[in-house]
Amino acid sequence: MKILIADDEALSRRLLEKTLERAGYEVISVENGKQALDELCKLEGPRLALLDWIMPELDGPAVCRAVRTRAEQAYVYMVLLTSKDSKEETVLGLESGADDYLTKPFNAEELRARLRVGERILLLEDRLVEARENMRFRATHDTLTSLLNRGAIMDLLARELQRSHREQKTTLILLGDIDHFKRVNDTFGHEVGDQVVVETANRLLGAVRSYDFVGRYGGEEFLVVLNSCDPAFARSRAEEIRKSISNRQIQTAKGPLTLTMSFGALLSSEWALKTIEELLHEVDIALYDAKAAGRDCLRVAKPATKPDPTSESLPHAVRLTH
Amino acid sequence: MGQLSNEEIEECTMNNSDQGHSEPIWNVAELLERVDHDQELLRDLLNIFKEDFPRTMRSLESAVAARDLKNCARLSHTLKGMLSSLGARRAAAAAAALDVIASSGETASLKESLDALLREGASLVPELDGYVAEVRR
Repeated sequence: MKILIADDEALSRRLLEKTLERAGYEVISVENGKQALDELCKLEGPRLALLDWIMPELDGPAVCRAVRTRAEQAYVYMVLLTSKDSKEETVLGLESGADDYLTKPFNAEELRARLRVGERILLLEDRLVEARENMRFRATHDTLTSLLNRGAIMDLLARELQRSHREQKTTLILLGDIDHFKRVNDTFGHEVGDQVVVETANRLLGAVRSYDFVGRYGGEEFLVVLNSCDPAFARSRAEEIRKSISNRQIQTAKGPLTLTMSFGALLSSEWALKTIEELLHEVDIALYDAKAAGRDCLRVAKPATKPDPTSESLPHAVRLTH
Repeated sequence: MGQLSNEEIEECTMNNSDQGHSEPIWNVAELLERVDHDQELLRDLLNIFKEDFPRTMRSLESAVAARDLKNCARLSHTLKGMLSSLGARRAAAAAAALDVIASSGETASLKESLDALLREGASLVPELDGYVAEVRR
């Protein structure tokens, strides 16, 4: 584990370096507070630090205060190691953000024991961060496919639409639905149905760029968001994505299956500023049109061919039966 | 560099106690324990000390002569840390006393306190040289 030693006094610094190297630490050693802060603020910087109080540029407590203001970075466990030995100074040092306080001359065994306390605190923090990240992932991702879930993909779509409007770019929205998926479930069972959904998710992910988004919108429905899409190539990109499902069979526990998907598509730049719900409604209608046209195809929502708003509810209701 | 026996170390520590002081000038045993009996490291530390101590003392003397309390406090604090790490408790105590005086803004006893530290330093350096010579033999 990396540890930072900050001490302007060479003898103490050398003694600490050797003591900590013997204890198995990877030692980074600096001579003033400014260098200490620079090291601690590095992305992969040390997370354990032994700081002298009086140093040029910045003193130990000032380094502690500066590190503590950087809430976004991983926790750094800081020990003030100083010749200042009054109770008032100990309190001041700890109030500055130090986790522990030791006076010189140090006892090597006590120092190592206190650093092990620090390591335990850092381990605890790592576990908490990992648990939080797992919870965040579960809250935003679909359990079966690990794709973004409906809430998360909708949030990202809203953000992307705002950005493309601001930057005068185009976002391509694709809403896809596996054709005759109910038949797969009824004929081969839900286990095979799940395999089909997972493989579909993988193929969609494999067909888009790393900065595009794919989410599971519903049972066998997927929402694909392609950022900064050139309108001239939008249709061909969408067709490539559609064909990534139908161009080869899906291997399942009950044998290979040939499946297709139907897609509704919408280019954000072709529409006046609308809410995300309004745009998704339009792309939903286009998907319905693709289903009505025999499936395994793509239909693009166009403002000029938009149905009368007063009859919007009818196709949507009909589509739900597919 | 050779290795001294525990008895020789104890003798060395006892010999460097001045009359009237319960504390030795230099506690070799304490330092050896701190360096985990690593003679090479000990030699490193003594070399650093022999280079840094006179230089820091000279700066301190200039600061005292100039009544520069801020630098007096900073330098005596540095010396306190250096000397205590080395196991030179008496000199460390003298540096600590000077640190307190300078930090409290008192100028009247600065010189007297500096002289005490100089005396301790003057006793300490031959002790260190004697130890190095003893180990080399």
